[in-house]
Amino acid sequence: MNVPGGDAADVGSRAQASLRLDGVGMSFGAKEVLAGIDLEVSPGQFVALVGPSGAGKSTLLRLLNGSHRPTVGTVSVLGTDPTKCSRRELQRLRTRIGFVFQQFGLVGRLSAMENVLMGALGSLRLPRYGVSSYPQDLRRRAAGNLERVGLIDARFQRCDTLSGGQQQRVAIARTLMQDAEIVLADEPVASLDPSSSLSVLETLRRLSAEDGFTVVCSLHQVDLALAISDRIVAVRDGSLVLDTATSQTNESQIRSIYQRNGPAT
Amino acid sequence: MSVTTPSRPVAVTREREPRPPRAAAATWLIPLGYLAVSVFGVWWIAIDLTALQDGAGDIARLLERMLPPEFGSLSELVTLVLETLWIALAGTGVATVVSLPLAAAASRNFTGPRSVQWLVRGIIVVTRAVPSLVFAIVFVRIFGLGPFAGALAIAFHSVGMIAKMMADVFEELTPAPREAIGAVGASRFQNFTATTLPRSLPAISSLVLYRLDINIRASAVLGLVGAGGIGVALQTAIGSLNYQQAAGIIVVIGLLLLALELVSFLVQRAVAEHAQDGVTSELYRRTADPIRPGWNRARLLRTGGALIAAGALLYALTQVSFDPSRLGRSWQAAVDLVTGFFPPVIDSAVLTGIFESVVMALTATTVGVVIGLVIAILSTGHVVRFAPLSFALRVLVVLMRSVPDVIYALVFVAALGLGPFAGFLALSISCTALAAKFFTDALQGVDPGPLRALEATGASRLQVFVSGVWPRFVPSLIGNSLFTSDLALRESAVLGIVGAGGIGFVLQESVASLDYGTTAGVLICLVVVVVALEAVARWARTRVI
Ligand SMILES: Nc1ncnc2c1ncn2[C@@H]1O[C@H](COP(=O)(O)OP(=O)(O)O)[C@@H](O)[C@H]1O
Ligand SMILES: [Mg+2]
Repeated sequence: MNVPGGDAADVGSRAQASLRLDGVGMSFGAKEVLAGIDLEVSPGQFVALVGPSGAGKSTLLRLLNGSHRPTVGTVSVLGTDPTKCSRRELQRLRTRIGFVFQQFGLVGRLSAMENVLMGALGSLRLPRYGVSSYPQDLRRRAAGNLERVGLIDARFQRCDTLSGGQQQRVAIARTLMQDAEIVLADEPVASLDPSSSLSVLETLRRLSAEDGFTVVCSLHQVDLALAISDRIVAVRDGSLVLDTATSQTNESQIRSIYQRNGPAT
Repeated sequence: MSVTTPSRPVAVTREREPRPPRAAAATWLIPLGYLAVSVFGVWWIAIDLTALQDGAGDIARLLERMLPPEFGSLSELVTLVLETLWIALAGTGVATVVSLPLAAAASRNFTGPRSVQWLVRGIIVVTRAVPSLVFAIVFVRIFGLGPFAGALAIAFHSVGMIAKMMADVFEELTPAPREAIGAVGASRFQNFTATTLPRSLPAISSLVLYRLDINIRASAVLGLVGAGGIGVALQTAIGSLNYQQAAGIIVVIGLLLLALELVSFLVQRAVAEHAQDGVTSELYRRTADPIRPGWNRARLLRTGGALIAAGALLYALTQVSFDPSRLGRSWQAAVDLVTGFFPPVIDSAVLTGIFESVVMALTATTVGVVIGLVIAILSTGHVVRFAPLSFALRVLVVLMRSVPDVIYALVFVAALGLGPFAGFLALSISCTALAAKFFTDALQGVDPGPLRALEATGASRLQVFVSGVWPRFVPSLIGNSLFTSDLALRESAVLGIVGAGGIGFVLQESVASLDYGTTAGVLICLVVVVVALEAVARWARTRVI
């Protein structure tokens, strides 16, 4: 197996990894879903997680934000082990990790602005209802973030009247409210058409470069992974079968891992 | 993936195959069960043709004494009608506010302690099972005569009803937004207000309006036990044998409920339209300052609606407010009552009473379902298409619904004397009206496409009905019959208050004679029987639908 991809210089310059998994395995009951996962991601990297459906990509991402606990091995995210956190500590850790979902996870009946503002709930103490219930400075940041994803004009529009690509942009703007150090994205473009898929991923890539947050993004389209990432990690049947810098691989190599007898690098 | 798809249809057919025989069995067993109980009920209640004939004569004579209705002081009546509305509004409003956290804790999505969840579910089950009129008897004892006890009674019963339905609404929401906001590190409470509440708001407003409608009906009779509202005047008139005055008040109650029927129809329609997705896309007007939400029609409507609801609730609360000078006495009465509950007494009077209530309810359901079915079939045009008949039947159903069944019972008791016969007749009328309404809705909802196709083959209307409509109507026939008996049971538990048989009489006597152990016994039996019947109904429904 390759040494984790990315520039050696980059890895060296930053002392602490954004996240690392050591010998992680995970089972649901008798069913083993992940086994022997070692992975280290350095800050600012854009990692594409590829693999066929059922390979364990979602499970891996959910381990990283503490939604699942591994059956064996250790997880460390931003220097913290989410499995050792109390509920409050986990809440605090999650404010530093953005999560983008395939189904967007927006409240369709509310405005884009309010959905973006919800990203800041982790830093507020009380519950909020309605745009005006959020403090001015947060509203200003929300407007700024909507501007950055190109949706400032739709700020007061009901989310369920926006297109799929626009909704995913709103969801991305919501994670920006967290000032997250890591953004985990689980098939963020699987429900979108090809052209908005690419433009949503490009937006995520640009924001990551501007703000310096780490991205781990699962994708099932290989071409998108190649177009967008620094590093590609492939999963099959719960194991890592490829881990390489994007510049050092190509479509046919990755395609082959989708097939049973493909070369396990 | 193409590999996994073929397994699906296989799984579906495998699931489906054993179903029809089970469904068929339940389809026969449930009506047979009702029939068996009803045959027993006819004997137990001593219903026979001569009794019915004599009864008809007695009722006619009483009705003669009620004519012409007298209205007495109009301003007094208006005040009492308004009080009825405030009781319902205050009770429903308080119940709604209390129900929100309870429903959140009772729903499957709740992630807090299991013990809290089971406690809350228990509260919901018990308050649902006890009719508001029963709560009213107890609260009048504690808080004295007047609308405060009434509003509290409405609130208690409604908490169970509203929280149950709200929990169902919460459980139906897709988990995606909740998970997304959980992932930003929001607390459970924040997550609830951000994702669950806004998404449930349309469904909650419509279920609360529906409950308000039911509660206004209930508030109209709370006065019979002294808990305020228009029923107080009715109680006074009947007590002083002033039947013309009583008739006048019944007419006023009828008009109130007819108006309510119209208003709630209009409001439900407006809410449904407003809740439709995509009606408004701009929730606020955009202003020059991007962070300042401006006012547009949508925001005005939202805010206006919320303010009106809050204002009406606050005003209603001031109208039913508690007299603080009674606090000491009420406290003492509450302590006496609660300590008196122990040990609960379940003697033969209690058991006979509850048994009689069940028999009355189920027998009346059978009568109501049969007559209601005939009315529904005749008024929906599947078999007979004669517009004046269908119109007349619909008017009849609305008129039947406009008088609460406790009032029917009151009239029948006055005409026929005390006992379950009067209660049975009253329940039969209200069950008929309910069943007719449910069945009419269901028959109208049958998809007309296949019927056209059948008609095109040259089948007669009766043939189309028997082979096209009936099979698809049966599940709703059974479901709605079960629901009707569910409502009938709660009603039959209170008819004893006016002497029309069943457990209500034992309950009222026990409270009046400070025999609180028996009160507790009655409440326990009532909850057990209602919950048990509900469970049977739920089980039966899964077998049929
Ligand atoms: N909560 C769960 N309980 C049991 N099995 C699960 C659960 N979640 C996922 N799995 C199983 O784990 C495997 C990996 O799933 P997932 O991580 O969702 O894969 P991917 O996201 O790569 O499609 C699948 O076989 C799936 O059926
Ligand atoms: Mg997945």
